[in-house]
Amino acid sequence: MSGRDSLLLLRRSGLPGRRQGPSMNEKSDLLTLRSVSKSYGAVPVLHDVNLAIRDGEFLTVLGPSGSGKTTVLRLIGGLEPMTSGEIRLDGQDISRMPINRRPFNTVFQDYALFPHLTVAGNVGYGLSVRHVPRKEIARRVAEALELVQLGSFAKRYPTQLSGGQRQRVALARALICRPRLILLDEPLAALDLELRRQMQEFLKSIQREIKTTFLFVTHDQEEAIGMSDRICVMQAGRIRQLGTPHELYYKPNCEFVARFFGENNLVPGTLGQVQGELRSIDTALGRLICSVAGQPHLKNAPEGACAFAMFRPEALHVSEVHDGKNHFSGKIVDVAFAGSSTVAIIAVGEDRSAPRLRMRLPSRFSGSALSASETVALSFAPREAHLVLS
Amino acid sequence: MTGTGSARAPTRWPRRLVTLLAFAMPVIFILVPLAIFLGYSFFSVDHGEIDYTLTVANYVRFLSDPIFLPVFWNTCVLCLSVAIICVLLAYPAAYFLTTLKGRWRYMLLMLLMVPLLMSYVIKIYAIRSILGLNGFLNKALVSLGILQEPSSLFVFNMNAILLTLTLLLIPFAILPIFLTLERIPPILRQASDDLGASAAQTFMRVTLPLSLPGVASAASFVFVLAIGDFLTPQMVGGVSGFTFGRVLYSQFGTAYNWPFGAALSVALAAVVVTAILLGERFGRNRGASV
Amino acid sequence: MTARPSTIFLAAVTALVAVLLYSPLFVPIVSSFFTVAHGEVVWSSPTVAAYVSLAGNKEILTALRATLIVGACTVLLSVGGGTLLALYYHGRRSGRGALQFIIFLPFLMPPIISGLALLIFFREVGLERSLLTVVIGHTVFVLAIVYRTVLTRLQSLSRSLVEASYDLGATGWQTFWRVLMPNLSSAMAGGAILAFALSFDETMITILVTGTQSTLPVRLWAMMRLGFSPDINALVALILIFTVLLCVLAARVLIPKQVATAAH
Repeated sequence: MSGRDSLLLLRRSGLPGRRQGPSMNEKSDLLTLRSVSKSYGAVPVLHDVNLAIRDGEFLTVLGPSGSGKTTVLRLIGGLEPMTSGEIRLDGQDISRMPINRRPFNTVFQDYALFPHLTVAGNVGYGLSVRHVPRKEIARRVAEALELVQLGSFAKRYPTQLSGGQRQRVALARALICRPRLILLDEPLAALDLELRRQMQEFLKSIQREIKTTFLFVTHDQEEAIGMSDRICVMQAGRIRQLGTPHELYYKPNCEFVARFFGENNLVPGTLGQVQGELRSIDTALGRLICSVAGQPHLKNAPEGACAFAMFRPEALHVSEVHDGKNHFSGKIVDVAFAGSSTVAIIAVGEDRSAPRLRMRLPSRFSGSALSASETVALSFAPREAHLVLS
Repeated sequence: MTGTGSARAPTRWPRRLVTLLAFAMPVIFILVPLAIFLGYSFFSVDHGEIDYTLTVANYVRFLSDPIFLPVFWNTCVLCLSVAIICVLLAYPAAYFLTTLKGRWRYMLLMLLMVPLLMSYVIKIYAIRSILGLNGFLNKALVSLGILQEPSSLFVFNMNAILLTLTLLLIPFAILPIFLTLERIPPILRQASDDLGASAAQTFMRVTLPLSLPGVASAASFVFVLAIGDFLTPQMVGGVSGFTFGRVLYSQFGTAYNWPFGAALSVALAAVVVTAILLGERFGRNRGASV
Repeated sequence: MTARPSTIFLAAVTALVAVLLYSPLFVPIVSSFFTVAHGEVVWSSPTVAAYVSLAGNKEILTALRATLIVGACTVLLSVGGGTLLALYYHGRRSGRGALQFIIFLPFLMPPIISGLALLIFFREVGLERSLLTVVIGHTVFVLAIVYRTVLTRLQSLSRSLVEASYDLGATGWQTFWRVLMPNLSSAMAGGAILAFALSFDETMITILVTGTQSTLPVRLWAMMRLGFSPDINALVALILIFTVLLCVLAARVLIPKQVATAAH
């Protein structure tokens, strides 16, 4: 049986307990968290978290360590009780449902494979504790292992596997019970870079094939961008922003997201006038023009409010053409070759405290056209620049 | 420590002395006595004098005499029973310890280990007085109406040895079981819960199998300590509680046959080594790292 | 989260085990304060007479003194020897396995075998049985424990610690005294406490290798046939208190690090 056939089988057998007629307002929401809070003793780790997970999506919870992202996952999985709030599955409150009854399965950070069971024993565990007939277990274990491309490893023990293989066993073990939701707790953290890339693609392809909702927790924003349908950025126990990777990258709603999510140039200033879809901001670089398209809160913010002009390193260009907008000159402090691209650090103004900008250019075999201590004219297009309220 | 060799080069003669000591101490005081002892098992006794001609007569006597083999076998069964009872009592206690949090866990563990450091002879004496005809056990059983009158069932026989050794050795069973239970990553139990197992299923399918190495070393520990004990049977065993340890000891006392005693010791050592190897074999954790 | 009934069962068994373990300790302690007549404790008249007569019991006090001397010598020899061996074998491959096996033999073998082997050895080399032979017997017995404790600590020390010391210009001796010893001292202290506790109570090897002078457990063993006088019970109570204090001390020295590592 090929991997694809077994995929079809897994999909056709369907997910048990799927609700037939969802109400209108929760149309495609599988799971909702309402004002969920959690404290360890007197230490609060989650404040009033509201989150709706859509059926079939790949949702990533992203945040630095200590942001509460793993706690969100553990509360949903039932590994820990909430302090307050509720969790609803298909509109029904499951806050008090014990862990072993929840139709979710977890892929743990260190895989948590049972060392005394073989790969087949691990994968079949969830079925065997539900007293599924032995023959069916054998069949479904074979399917699941085929799916994660470990068909020939059934008789091995976890200690005889590599990190990537253990990872896939953990995934097979989680998906064999056909859960409504698979929770993944930084499952790629222990793998090296190349393997991590492969596993990212692999996870994404499996998720597409079995059409099961994935809730993925990570601190790696590159990983999040590459895999997710939506990303939920957390900081200090709160959700900062929820949106598609593109939205988060180009329209962060706060300084934290703007800084956390990829390399960025943030220049502080005060808001000026609105002109259509553009708004000016006065900064140390002079008056800059940024786009506010589709961001009414930025359009409506009062003049003189503190904000940042934000533009990505790849949006910055060397240009002598002067059209009067977003044009300034700076001194190159450092040029660093980074493989496919080259990064230049630029100081604007003589001051030590003057803003430093990053500019990213495609690398060329002939070498960089820029050299340190050279002064260059720079600009960026207004539609590539955005505003972030501070 | 190759890198440090040059740094220590100036102090060459102390190093040689240390090397000499490190090798000589264990060899002189451990290996040589054991080797002489083994050698003795091939000698014989003639009119109270040791005859230094080599013979296997001692081993032949041990295997052919109708007394020694049955005593040997009964002692093995007795000590195995002690090991099993100790493990059965120790496992729930050790499991209970692991359910406690931080400080309490170690406080209670300590509490259960303290009796180990208490004088061994005194404990045997106290247990004998508890088990005896006027002892606490008989009083309790009579007042509960289980017995009509005090019974001598619990002292000066094999039962007494079994009970006393069990009481003395339980702590040795608790410790290894506790240590293996404690080392099972909690996440494995969580993973089992997450996959839909009930509490009982998680225990039977994850916790118990992963703690079996500790059970094996606990059992082998207790067995080895029980079979080597010759004072407890002497004290509480009376005339009918005759164990291999007592037979062996008597060869160096009343019977005065050191070479035969040495041969019996070799038999004892063989059982002990077997028990240790079995404990080691089953005590090895298949997947120490997860 | 375990279910209630199972927790109650576990707690009950634990309580039973505790009662089983402590009952032999309470019998002599209770008897040390109360008169026992015809197997019945006379609760009405507590007395410290047992403690007074203990202070006058020459035989017991001599045996106690011998035990303490033996214990002290055993601690000195085993900690010195065990540390030396641990330092010597640490990081060395050749011959380590075999010698380590030899060191562990007396600890693994039943004490009757170690004791008899030493008994014959002393006779063959013509060493008269005395407290010296008892000290040798005890040292041989506890050496493995001290060795193991120190070696475990050595192995947990980062190799770069020693390398850093050499790198900063220290000689071998300076590194030993200023870097290794401060880090080993608590392990050595723990090993010393264990060695003393084991030596204090060692009976089976002692009974085989001791001469006319004997240690406390062997003296008690000899007296046990006749039944104990109340002053022995007083001694038992005192030893128990001493043991608990020793335990607390050992816990202070040994446990904090273990708890810290277990918590992570």
